Amino acid sequence: MVHQTEDVQGLVRRPPAPEARTAEAAGSDTTSPKRPRRPRISRPTLAGLGFIAPLAVYMVLFYLYPLVENVSMSLHRFTRATYVTGEAPFVGTDIYREVIGSATFAPTIVQTGLFVVISLVFQYTIGLTLAVFFQRHFPLSGVLRGLFLVPWLLPIIVSGTTWQWMMDADSGVINGLLGVIGIDSVWWLNADNALWAVIIANIWLGIPFNLVILYSGLQNIPTDLYEAASVDGASPWRQFWSITFPLLRPVTAITLLLGFVYTLKVVDIIWIMTTGSGSSQTLATWAYSMAFGKGSSAIIRYSEASVVGTVLLLIAVAMGFVYLAVQRRQEA
Amino acid sequence: MNTKRTRRTGLAATAVLAIVGLAACGGDGSGSANGDSGEPLTTVSFWDPYPQYDDSSDWAKYVEGCAPEGTTLERTTAPNGDLLNSLTSAVREDNAPDVVLLDNPAVPDAAASGLLASSDDVDFEIGDADENLAGPGLIDGKTYGVPIGANTLGLYYNVDVLKAAGVDPASITDWASLNDALAAVTDNGNSGITFAGIAGEEGTFQFLPWFWGAGASLTDPGSSEAVEAGQLLSDWIGDGYAPKSAISDNQSASWDLFLTGDYGFAVNGSWFAKSAADLDFDAVMMPIPAKDGGAAPVPTGGEFAVAPIHQSNAQARYDAANEIIDCLVGNGNQVETDDQLGYFAANGEERQTQIDADAVWTPWTDAINNAQGRTSDLGADYTATSGALSAAEQAALNAAGDEDAVAQAFEEAGQSVGQ
Repeated sequence: MVHQTEDVQGLVRRPPAPEARTAEAAGSDTTSPKRPRRPRISRPTLAGLGFIAPLAVYMVLFYLYPLVENVSMSLHRFTRATYVTGEAPFVGTDIYREVIGSATFAPTIVQTGLFVVISLVFQYTIGLTLAVFFQRHFPLSGVLRGLFLVPWLLPIIVSGTTWQWMMDADSGVINGLLGVIGIDSVWWLNADNALWAVIIANIWLGIPFNLVILYSGLQNIPTDLYEAASVDGASPWRQFWSITFPLLRPVTAITLLLGFVYTLKVVDIIWIMTTGSGSSQTLATWAYSMAFGKGSSAIIRYSEASVVGTVLLLIAVAMGFVYLAVQRRQEA
Repeated sequence: MNTKRTRRTGLAATAVLAIVGLAACGGDGSGSANGDSGEPLTTVSFWDPYPQYDDSSDWAKYVEGCAPEGTTLERTTAPNGDLLNSLTSAVREDNAPDVVLLDNPAVPDAAASGLLASSDDVDFEIGDADENLAGPGLIDGKTYGVPIGANTLGLYYNVDVLKAAGVDPASITDWASLNDALAAVTDNGNSGITFAGIAGEEGTFQFLPWFWGAGASLTDPGSSEAVEAGQLLSDWIGDGYAPKSAISDNQSASWDLFLTGDYGFAVNGSWFAKSAADLDFDAVMMPIPAKDGGAAPVPTGGEFAVAPIHQSNAQARYDAANEIIDCLVGNGNQVETDDQLGYFAANGEERQTQIDADAVWTPWTDAINNAQGRTSDLGADYTATSGALSAAEQAALNAAGDEDAVAQAFEEAGQSVGQ
């Protein structure tokens, strides 16, 4: 199998490379005496730049500029009055030291880590289980699969509020069910349990995303592999671990990377359920509360919020590099 | 090969042109926004924090009627907590509205940040508003806004629930008798009391009657009196007198719980007084008791009409602001405005006329006349203290009665403010 692909790649390489062809064309141009001297940048390059330009301008305007502004804000002390007076003294890394040295920083990092890792593990496992389950077609499987997308389609304000009601300590349906089976009711949304409450809701929210991507990944695995495996007498369990899981690895990598970034920056579901209070404060909700002077932060703290924003960005970029490394290893 | 190349270059040129075109459009748009200084106004804009009144509501029509002659008024509404932030960015872009109705504790902060025009530019007439209500608009001897009216908090009770539990409302005069009443009501199978303990200013507003009623002062949120107030509410959660959702309930949510008819008591605002008179059970208001008896001091709520700072065409805008504010709260107009909102007039005499005209207001008379401004002691520093107090209250409610945790929470609040 592996040898075959290498052969195919070899075949593709055999014709002259595009660069070589361009060089030939350029050569024939210079021999023509009527033509003026070629500009240093060849016209195809110019055309290429022209095509890149819209994207480049877009990236600079909507990605680079806000990022640079964010970092600049974290190095200057912004207050509400800054917007009127324009005064924002440069303070170097002072604000970074204040934020990282504050008593909230370490617990928030731990909570963010728990939130992301536990959410991802369960979202992925449940999503994959469901994807494998729906791979066999049975009556109504399409309808059922569609129903699993509902969490994704509902506006988060609706699902978040519904979770908040269901988790109400005194009259929520979850405590009602626990009561039926004889378990003491839980105060889901208090400071200690808030993190677990939002993790549960977020897992529910993330399953459809994992289901859809992993299900489409499964469609690309050739069925003859499974036929061959069953001829060889491999059990379904063995088929999963020896065929499905290894061949799904590239899809798994991208699902987990996207899931990581999405989960890291989650504000809405947490904010609606607990306003980021108690243990449910993550880096993202902390940044939000400081940037808008809401929830745990009564005063608006633009600079501190952009420090946390920069930290979030660094984590996401680091994950991006991990993904690239994993991808490179898979291709090698 | 040549034709192919020409086509490519042509495409690239089109792409570049498209971008230049886009950029040019952007330039045009921003240019025209700044170019109208000195011209007479044709539209004036107005922001308020009452999203419950939509464009077809009586309130919207009433406000639109206040547009100065020759202009149309555009009303925008946003939740209370979002208004100051929106105003900050609008002032920065110099497209702030002409008049904003801003929550009173936010006025000193906004003024200190330079967002508001003062009495130097706008000819505010505050002469007849009561001193305790006009307070938040007075900063360093200048006036930054006019109270459009006032509201405050009271203790509503469900007559049927109390009667069933054998509780005489008149016997509730201090915290001890209130706790006895709560015990009797819950023993009888009903629920106790609803209040809004949500994090943020709204929670602090509801906490202040207990805080002040214990004898605590905003200058020292870590005092032993503050701890007592926190302990009272913490015990309500611990003893099951109050719903655990109080930690995240806002005032509408806690009122909805009271409307179920299951609760004996509810701490809530005078803005619900009129609708409380139309419920299928009898809901009556009594002043919130202080720890050792008598009525606790309650905070004043309500908005201020303020005029944001403008760069271009400023004087015309301030003049328009003055006209709109005068139409809303000027002499003789205020009662009509406040009747629309369910607020009390800011002027003592006008308020008395209002109270005499509607029996629903009678029990509120003392509460509103003695209500205290939240920012009176601290000015712009109130925002930080309110935040610390809210954090302490949240921790106290989470502690569900644990005395050490409550004491620690308020100690931390005291320290964070002391810094």
